[in-house]
Amino acid sequence: MIKKYNNQEKENYLFFILIFISLFLSNIGIYGITDPRNMPNYFIGLVIAFIISNKANLNLYKLVILGLIVDLFTGQLMGQHALIFITIFLLSFLVNKLLIIKTEIQQSTLSIFLIVNSFFILWVTSQSHDIFRSPSLLLVQGILTFFAYLITKLIIIKFSSK
Amino acid sequence: MAKKANSNNLKLFNRNAFPLFTFLVLFLICIIIMGFDFRYNLSTKIKSELSLIIVPINYIINLPIEIFHNSKKSFNTVRLLTQENQILEKEIYDLSIKIQENKLLKSENTQLRKLLKIHKEFDIVGQNAEIVLPNVRNGYSILTINKGYKDSIENSSAVINNSGLVGQIINTSRNYSEIKPITSKTFAVPAVLDTGKENIILYGNGNSELEIPLFPASSFIKIGDIFITSGVDGIYPKGIKIGVVTKINPTKSPKFNYILVTPFFQPTTFSQLTVLKINKND
Repeated sequence: MIKKYNNQEKENYLFFILIFISLFLSNIGIYGITDPRNMPNYFIGLVIAFIISNKANLNLYKLVILGLIVDLFTGQLMGQHALIFITIFLLSFLVNKLLIIKTEIQQSTLSIFLIVNSFFILWVTSQSHDIFRSPSLLLVQGILTFFAYLITKLIIIKFSSK
Repeated sequence: MAKKANSNNLKLFNRNAFPLFTFLVLFLICIIIMGFDFRYNLSTKIKSELSLIIVPINYIINLPIEIFHNSKKSFNTVRLLTQENQILEKEIYDLSIKIQENKLLKSENTQLRKLLKIHKEFDIVGQNAEIVLPNVRNGYSILTINKGYKDSIENSSAVINNSGLVGQIINTSRNYSEIKPITSKTFAVPAVLDTGKENIILYGNGNSELEIPLFPASSFIKIGDIFITSGVDGIYPKGIKIGVVTKINPTKSPKFNYILVTPFFQPTTFSQLTVLKINKND
């Protein structure tokens, strides 16, 4: 029981540290890429990695608050990322109710599904609020977000194995 | 006992109940917040108050480039500095000649305005600033300058530089401000050809260029023509260069052409620009 709470605390610390790192990284482009807009959405990758790994005990309330904070610091419209994060939670929950997601390939496939849905919501909410987002740019960002998810997953696995 | 342990370990499917009501309430709250933010610009106001947290992040992001530039200055040889000095002296000389010519034109203009009883003044008064990092925020481009409301920068102020029109201030915090560039999809500026003809509105197309979706085919325009601000909106002073026509394409309707304009201003980090003061008398 004590060990379980210690692990949960460690997961929470890891989550907060990765949020701060994502906040910093989302303000700098990727070195070597001419268009600075070609960058992953670190926050979506982070939230998907933690939800799929079932770490940090994320619930709807935490995700909404996190989403609002992300929108305040790095977003264009308040509420966008909050909506995306709670939808990721819902979709992940529903998929786990219907299917068994245990292997790495299954989790990666689920992450791709969640990333596609996240960027679809981002695009739809942007269009309806006069924020221009090029679909081709979103596709590139989605692909890069998948890599960000993989790196976050590796960090979580490395951290959990200690 | 063994049977119970087996059933506990075989948690393949998620059997918990989903908090559907909570999700629906939070979903509605998110939609409402988005609507309010779009209507009343709530996040802009809150962001300007959160500048204390943003300042250290911006400082850390700009630190490597500042160190690089300062180190580069230390390694510049005398020969390079002398060459740069000579080029700058020549530019100052050429500009001094142009200023004399402009002074004469200005005094003639003032005389003519007095005669015709036209009272509008065209003095450009502004605050100089420098473009700094970050130039991207979570996948969308931004232009950040190193001046904020403590330097009397106001929202909606026009921004220009020696190349031409840059954009408009959309967000100010204590130490930094954000600019919406003229190539942004939500940007529009009333413009006129430098010949004084063809009053139109130029729109940003989101791809580093400006466009006129429907330009009358009967009007004469050619590639290389320059657009300047017309000043009719009261935000951008008259006569600021915007861009040059680079493409003229026909549209589905034979009465109109599609015009593509390449702006003179190309954003580069650490370049200088001027934020104009809002003239409240207009």
